[in-house]
Amino acid sequence: MASSISETNFEESKRIKRRKTGDELRDPDTIDHTRWRSESEQRIYSTKLVEAIRQVRRNSSPENKVSSGRDIRDAADGVLAVAAKGRTRWSRAILASRLRLRLAHNNMKHKKARVAKVTGSIRSKMPEKKRSIPALQRKAKVLSRLVPGCRKVSFPNLLEETTDYISALEMQVRAMAALTELLTGSPVDRLTSTSDS
Amino acid sequence: MEKESTTPPNWTTSSFGMEIQPNELNCAAADQLPNSFFNPNWDNSVDHSDPFDSSLSSIVSSPAASNAAAIPGSNCLMITELIGRLGSICNSGEISPQTYIAGNTTTNNNSTNTSGYNTPLNSPPKLNLSIMDSQIRGRLPINGHQVPFHPTLVPFSADPGFAERAARFSCFGNTNCIGLNETDLPYGVMPGMEYGKMSNASSNQQFKLVGSQMGVKENNKQEGNVAVKRKFIRLPRPSTPENAELGDSREGSSVSEQIPGGEVSTKVDSDANARKRKSISRGKAKETPSTPSAKDHKTAVDNEESNAKRIRQDEDAGNEKDSAKAKAKADSKAAGDGNQKQSKDNSKPSEPPKDYIHVRARRGQATDSHSLAERVRREKISERMKFLQDLVPGCNKVTGKAVMLDEIINYVQSLQRQVEFLSMKLATVNPRMDFNMEAQLSKDIFQSRGALPPTLYPLDSAMRSIPYGYQPQQMQALHGGIANETENRFPVNSLAALSRNPSVQLPPMDGFGEAVPQVSAPWEDDLQSVVQMGFGQNQQQSFHGSGAAAQMKVEL
Repeated sequence: MASSISETNFEESKRIKRRKTGDELRDPDTIDHTRWRSESEQRIYSTKLVEAIRQVRRNSSPENKVSSGRDIRDAADGVLAVAAKGRTRWSRAILASRLRLRLAHNNMKHKKARVAKVTGSIRSKMPEKKRSIPALQRKAKVLSRLVPGCRKVSFPNLLEETTDYISALEMQVRAMAALTELLTGSPVDRLTSTSDS
Repeated sequence: MEKESTTPPNWTTSSFGMEIQPNELNCAAADQLPNSFFNPNWDNSVDHSDPFDSSLSSIVSSPAASNAAAIPGSNCLMITELIGRLGSICNSGEISPQTYIAGNTTTNNNSTNTSGYNTPLNSPPKLNLSIMDSQIRGRLPINGHQVPFHPTLVPFSADPGFAERAARFSCFGNTNCIGLNETDLPYGVMPGMEYGKMSNASSNQQFKLVGSQMGVKENNKQEGNVAVKRKFIRLPRPSTPENAELGDSREGSSVSEQIPGGEVSTKVDSDANARKRKSISRGKAKETPSTPSAKDHKTAVDNEESNAKRIRQDEDAGNEKDSAKAKAKADSKAAGDGNQKQSKDNSKPSEPPKDYIHVRARRGQATDSHSLAERVRREKISERMKFLQDLVPGCNKVTGKAVMLDEIINYVQSLQRQVEFLSMKLATVNPRMDFNMEAQLSKDIFQSRGALPPTLYPLDSAMRSIPYGYQPQQMQALHGGIANETENRFPVNSLAALSRNPSVQLPPMDGFGEAVPQVSAPWEDDLQSVVQMGFGQNQQQSFHGSGAAAQMKVEL
């Protein structure tokens, strides 16, 4: 098993390299889709995630004892965006929204006004609008709402952003799952089982 | 009288005819002269003649008078003498109208006369004829008239070098020369052609400006070379006015007039006119673009030729432009360039396959600028959909954008939900954080790490599932790093991670204490147990969360 895993790791690293070169050949603007899979990336992310969570804990503990899941999620998203190094639109949108939040928060603090924590969540929970717009456009709209900061993005760029966002989300899920696993010591059930082909 | 009523040029020509005719009459060639009406008019016309004509008539009349009663043979001699005198007086100017008469008029005697004239004076006057014709037509802004006999042309005829220059002019009017004399015109054409080549060479520099724009960026060298050559051939005509003042104006006028008259499309017209104007302006020639002396039948052949040439040139140029533009556009990836012309010639078989950088119309496909841009866009979209298909599990069988988008949306939503869930869990799982514990944790982590290198090595391969740097390198670094219990901030990220990990792991350590035998400190046990558990779970692949992630990773 270990050997198989190591082999797959090796193969994957090879594939990563191959894909990287392929991407570079095509278009300099194309984002490397495999960067979220690299171990270094995961390491970096997990590091920052842990720190962020600690920070959240520290920040939240004086105010409310329990840090809400939302805070953690925001922290995780923020860390993910930082890990993206600002190359993608969604990462920049996340960071921008967080920055805006913080600025607003600080300003409000100075003015001694309590600001309800605006999540600034650009994500919609369950978009279920059904209109008579052509199906493709409708779905593109839904997708644009899902990916942060991609509301007015053209369709091909939207697809590009989605690709990177999915990869980043996958890594985030893995990291957080492992973290919770470490913390709780119990296997974390995935909410939705992805059907593997 | 008819002759008097006609315009002066015609009258002058007719005066010639009249002058000739009496000689013929005297030569007893009266049988050949059906135009007897010339005779009675002769005196009258002579009376009305201008000085030159009167002098001419005097010359004519003198031998005629002298030979009034001469025998036909002598009269024929007189005729030849008269011819010679006429030739001497006005080399080409006088003869050209005569030949003109030969070509144009319907008078038999004139035709016979000119035919008679032509035989002895075949070669030289023909050259002069063309020259004079061009000169006359170019200089004199008389519309549609026959060649006027201009007195000022006489001194030109005397100039020997003028003939050479005139011959040179005839080059870009070489077609005119061709059209001018339906008979063979070797002298007129040959020097013209030579000069044409010279002018090609001389004007190459000018046209490199024009041609370079068209020809540099081309891939179809054939078309480019051909078109460039054609440009060179065409454009010398207007450029040579630098050397001579006639050709350009005449040529331009004739051509520009013929273009609208021809069957050329408007686009070609505008292009040709635009290019013509450009070339003319470059040539900086004196222009009389409005000289409408173009409706000569002589230029009929010229018209067709130039039109054909121009059409071909324009098409090629247009195609070159299109290809260049297509290339430029594709290179710059500017989609939707509406100014791009149709590059149908470029879509012919000799075309390279389409790749991502260069956009060309593929064979058998529409070459509209819009469709090209559309195709580029579609290719981009399909390429990205392919990436997504690889990314989203279970989409290999799915075809079509709509269904794919559905799957993608579902997947993104599921991922986001997972993140939320995990964050909730993290929030609930870590209620307490302690600095001391953190330090202890870090210490124990190092110790435990040091103790667990063999078990952690296999974990290296499963690092994806447990991303917390349980790697031997980090272990060893940590192992040597931590010395004190205070919270240490290690410069290495991994060290920091590991140092903080124990702090995070502190709370649940109680649950782990039992499982780990070796651990000295509780968080060590926790760490070890977790590590072993994670490892074991990875091995057994019974771990749903990270295991599934590992599986996903492995299979992907």
